[in-house]
Amino acid sequence: MKIEAKDPVVEIHDLTVSYQKKPVLWNIDMTLPKGALIGVIGPNGAGKSTLIKSAMGLLPLASGYVRMFDQPLNKVRDKVSYVPQRESVDWDFPTSVLDVVLMGRYAKLGLIARPRKADKEMAINCLRKVGMEAFVNRQISQLSGGQQQRVFLARALAQEADLYFMDEPFAGVDAATEAAILAIMQEMTAQGKTVIVVHHDLQSAAEFFDWIVLLNMRLVASGPIDKVFNNKLLQETYGGKLTVLAEVGELVRRRQIPSREKY
Amino acid sequence: METLKEFFSFQDPSIIAVTVGAILLSSSSAVVGTFTFLKKKALVGDAVAHSVLPGICLAFILSGTKNPIYLIIGAFVTGWLSLVIIDHISKKSKLKEDTAIALILSVFFGIGILMLTNIQHSGNAAQTGLDSFLFGKAAALVGNDLIVFGIVAVVLIATVILFFKELKLMAFDQDYAEAIGLPVKGLELLLTSLTVLAVVTGIQAVGVVLMAAMLITPAAAARFWTNDTRVMTLLAAILGGFSGLSGAFVSYAAPAMPTGPWIVMIISALALTSFFVAPKRGIISRGMEQRKLQRMIMDENLLKELFHLGEKDNDLYKGRSVAEIIEERYFPEKTLRKSLNRLKRQGFLSKTNGDWHYTEAGKMKGQRVVKLHRLWELYLSEKMKIAPDHVHEDAETVEHIITPELEERLEKMFDRRATDPHDEQIPY
Repeated sequence: MKIEAKDPVVEIHDLTVSYQKKPVLWNIDMTLPKGALIGVIGPNGAGKSTLIKSAMGLLPLASGYVRMFDQPLNKVRDKVSYVPQRESVDWDFPTSVLDVVLMGRYAKLGLIARPRKADKEMAINCLRKVGMEAFVNRQISQLSGGQQQRVFLARALAQEADLYFMDEPFAGVDAATEAAILAIMQEMTAQGKTVIVVHHDLQSAAEFFDWIVLLNMRLVASGPIDKVFNNKLLQETYGGKLTVLAEVGELVRRRQIPSREKY
Repeated sequence: METLKEFFSFQDPSIIAVTVGAILLSSSSAVVGTFTFLKKKALVGDAVAHSVLPGICLAFILSGTKNPIYLIIGAFVTGWLSLVIIDHISKKSKLKEDTAIALILSVFFGIGILMLTNIQHSGNAAQTGLDSFLFGKAAALVGNDLIVFGIVAVVLIATVILFFKELKLMAFDQDYAEAIGLPVKGLELLLTSLTVLAVVTGIQAVGVVLMAAMLITPAAAARFWTNDTRVMTLLAAILGGFSGLSGAFVSYAAPAMPTGPWIVMIISALALTSFFVAPKRGIISRGMEQRKLQRMIMDENLLKELFHLGEKDNDLYKGRSVAEIIEERYFPEKTLRKSLNRLKRQGFLSKTNGDWHYTEAGKMKGQRVVKLHRLWELYLSEKMKIAPDHVHEDAETVEHIITPELEERLEKMFDRRATDPHDEQIPY
């Protein structure tokens, strides 16, 4: 079940991604609409993070391409922001909350240039939006999980992008943070920005998103929530792994066959 | 002592040269090493350090001179090569990075030693002093050498200052750096080149064998003192520079001594001291923090038991003897007396005729602990459905850590309920 977006911001065409030759995503092909809050849903190991990492160009593609705003990513990087998984960094790193949020300004600043006063004020503004203005000078190792997530969100906001990819922003956060993050996302989409979120909780997914991507190594469904968030498709996503697909992937890895032929 | 005075009077211009050189070299490698350390690539630094030796020997064999420019180029080439191979092995083969590092380090160093031995037995008069690259010789830093190495050191420091924000982001969150479109490959190349160059310049003072210590130890020591990358880099530079200075002095006072081991001993002593005495992160400070916590828990428990005693005979302010308290709850007598005296000093207790009783402030404090204990028992049994006879132990710990905000929320949650799950009064 695949519904194409009328006003697409992201176009993923025949995307296949492999880890050490073993394909983990097969032929993903979809378009995502502008101004929507989009949830990428699927079981563990479905390739949700892989999908947005490869969309951000952090993983090599075995085949296919991704276009954003009808252009290759490298042409529009300033309009695209990324929130990595919270656990992907060392929170004992010697730096302050403000410094982390300022990193969101680096792309605009360019190499060598120092953050200016305006950038600092922008960063503090973003911290205020996520309810962390009291933590500006706090050392990041003192933050709780929810606060870490808010800081990452503030850093992404500081980029002033139009399209956001977020990897599990709701993982391991408290209820207050969840509500705060959701409110910000809804505000962003109301302004016409597009937010794509990797999410693992089905129950809240039904409440959060307007567009759902169901993923399990392949694209099960992509479309408005009322069309694709139903029992049949969810069962197809979660129930019964495609064992043949997984086994073929394993064979490809063992034999080290490139997943696309050269000629 | 005499030598010390002589050295620090800087009357001999060559002393100034050697000193400035040694400080510059060691602080530049400390600055670059800060980022090697933050990227958790300490062992890579060691591999590069050992891998520059064959390059130095090769440059000498080919050029026939000890001209520092040739030596730097040679060292740079093999140092770089070692990193490329390590990267290739760990990415393309089943071997992990640590194996690749160990392999490359020993193979390159082995080849280097072979070549060095060969050169030494070749009878070439120009070779004397080449072996000082093994363990370092700060005193050899004179004339042309000093100028060349000094320039490289200044370039290193300047580059780090220029690219500080990029290097920091690369060390903290490389994926994000790539996602926002920073030239990650180029910046990695930059840091690698800086590391190799830092090694190349530093070996003049420290030698290849111990060079890794010069990269990593100042940063490790500095990390104990600060939570700011900028301050940490500066501190690493100062600590590195100081050890370089002392190395220069040793080299002057005892020319037969290799400088490297001395520099490394001094920087290690600084790191070890930081490990113990640094505020917050240091071992001693953490130990004291623990002790303070233990005392606080003891004091609060004592005030709590006095409240229990008071509840029993309906007289909270009645004087209690030490024996009476111990009968209510066992405390080692020595610890108990210390705690009693401490609470008296702080104004929570007073003592009349050998008996201890609450002051108003003491009663409030004891009452709060009892209240928190019982509120938490209520929370555990009602909200978390834990059987009432299983909640006491948990509450014993939690009563000491609940903040005033949480206290208020708990009170509201149960609408200032009168009794806890064991039907004991919750005192408000």
